[in-house]
Amino acid sequence: MQVQLETLSTLERRISITLPMAEIDAQVGERLKRVARNAKIQGFRPGKAPMKIVEMNYGAQVREEVLGEQVQQAFYKAVGEEKLRVAGYPRFEPVNNEGDKETFKFAATFEVYPEVKVGDLTGKDIEKPVAEVTEAEVDKTVDILRKQRTRYSRVEREAASGDRVIIDFKGTIDGVPFEGGSAENFPFVLGQGQMLADFETGVTGMKEGETKSVEVSFPEDYHGKEVAGKKAVFEITVKNVAEAQLPEVDADFAKMLGIADGDVEKMRAEIRKNVERESKRRLSARVKENVMQALLDVTEIELPKSLVQLEVGRLIEQARRDLESRGMKVQDMPFPPELFQQQAERRVALGLILSELVEANQLEAKPEQVKAMIEEFADSYEQPEEVVKWYYASPDRLEGPTSMVLEDNVVEFVLSKANVVEKPLAFDELMGNNA
Amino acid sequence: MNQERLMQVILAPIVSEKSTMIADKNQQVAFRVVGDATKPEIKAAVELLFNVKVDAVTTLNVKGKVKRFGRSFGRRKDWKKAYVSLAEGQEIDLTNAAAE
Repeated sequence: MQVQLETLSTLERRISITLPMAEIDAQVGERLKRVARNAKIQGFRPGKAPMKIVEMNYGAQVREEVLGEQVQQAFYKAVGEEKLRVAGYPRFEPVNNEGDKETFKFAATFEVYPEVKVGDLTGKDIEKPVAEVTEAEVDKTVDILRKQRTRYSRVEREAASGDRVIIDFKGTIDGVPFEGGSAENFPFVLGQGQMLADFETGVTGMKEGETKSVEVSFPEDYHGKEVAGKKAVFEITVKNVAEAQLPEVDADFAKMLGIADGDVEKMRAEIRKNVERESKRRLSARVKENVMQALLDVTEIELPKSLVQLEVGRLIEQARRDLESRGMKVQDMPFPPELFQQQAERRVALGLILSELVEANQLEAKPEQVKAMIEEFADSYEQPEEVVKWYYASPDRLEGPTSMVLEDNVVEFVLSKANVVEKPLAFDELMGNNA
Repeated sequence: MNQERLMQVILAPIVSEKSTMIADKNQQVAFRVVGDATKPEIKAAVELLFNVKVDAVTTLNVKGKVKRFGRSFGRRKDWKKAYVSLAEGQEIDLTNAAAE
């Protein structure tokens, strides 16, 4: 086997390999013999066909297989000897050498992993958001929980904003009923914009059992094309008016939330713990984001195109699956690769930087760290031991926590090197304003 | 004999266990030929197409099989088979001839 290595560009390499034909022929012959033992060919009982006929039928195919295998083998052997780290998949092409029946020659073009030089982090500012969980935040969370458990009780008064009403309605345009314009026993909550404003003001002030006609003009941009911009008359009968009642923060409420003895203080502590965990998670996610950005900023790196391409493919596949699981038809949906290009580049770059950092600074995830991480996960479940057991049941379940520990290690390492700037962050902003 | 006719007489070589066996044992080759082919025609055709010396030709008519599909019966076509004995030292290599 003769090997010849060329450097095409900083990352691209071409390797030319010459294999002796005799070896390939011998392999082909051997394999044909194996095929012949149970080859099914027209006119012969299985396995009874003579060698010549078998070769005529299967020769080309077997030869192709053998060649493919030999090429792969020779390539990886050569790569191993030259100590190259191949990124992505190599491209093989046969080299034409007419007149030389003794050898088979081919070339493989591929990219190698770039040398990653992580830049100097000292003196680099990394923003580290901090947010504190106070009693006020706990109160807010309690409020949300109360709202989620709103109960309605029937009242005999005029419906007001915030009340839930159950109505029958029949809508007509110019005296003609239209599609979707009528319903029976239709519940909705007043004052939340569920219905058109005209409709809601019409219902407001009605009592149980009352009937009334309300004129509603549909806005021009209404989603129902037929009725948009038209005027309709609704005949509304109110069947039930119910007042919203938020549950009191008391023992019952605590019980509802899973505190067995109904201790309100305990409930607050539990909520606080959850809120703190959530806020910690989001904070660390932000720090991680900042750290990764910093790493990208200080490191210059040339990315192997094939790796980026692979990543783009993966991202597209992921997006496709994601959409599919939401019930969209993805068959004929175009996924332009350019959309994913940037994201893929970033991910590949980060992957390379991270693995370099981990290797250079011994940041591998240690088993006890993984254990701690899993226990932290498990903490929010009702039976933590079960969850821990589940994770340890198979190695690929451990993969997730392990890579998270790894990332955490890197983040910590970077933070220890770089200049950390603490920045207070409003709690609401951290939680995405919906708290 | 008409050359054009000779080109049409032989339809296909028969490749089977029996045909390979007789090729090894008796220097015979089996062909599927048109139904109204005569022995002299086949002999001339094989000599023309494969450029060999033919010793003798034996022929037989193969009756088509009766096949049924559900309730209806059908009959496959009858055809003529020819065993061509080659003269001493002659050979037809069908593996390559088929490609030509």
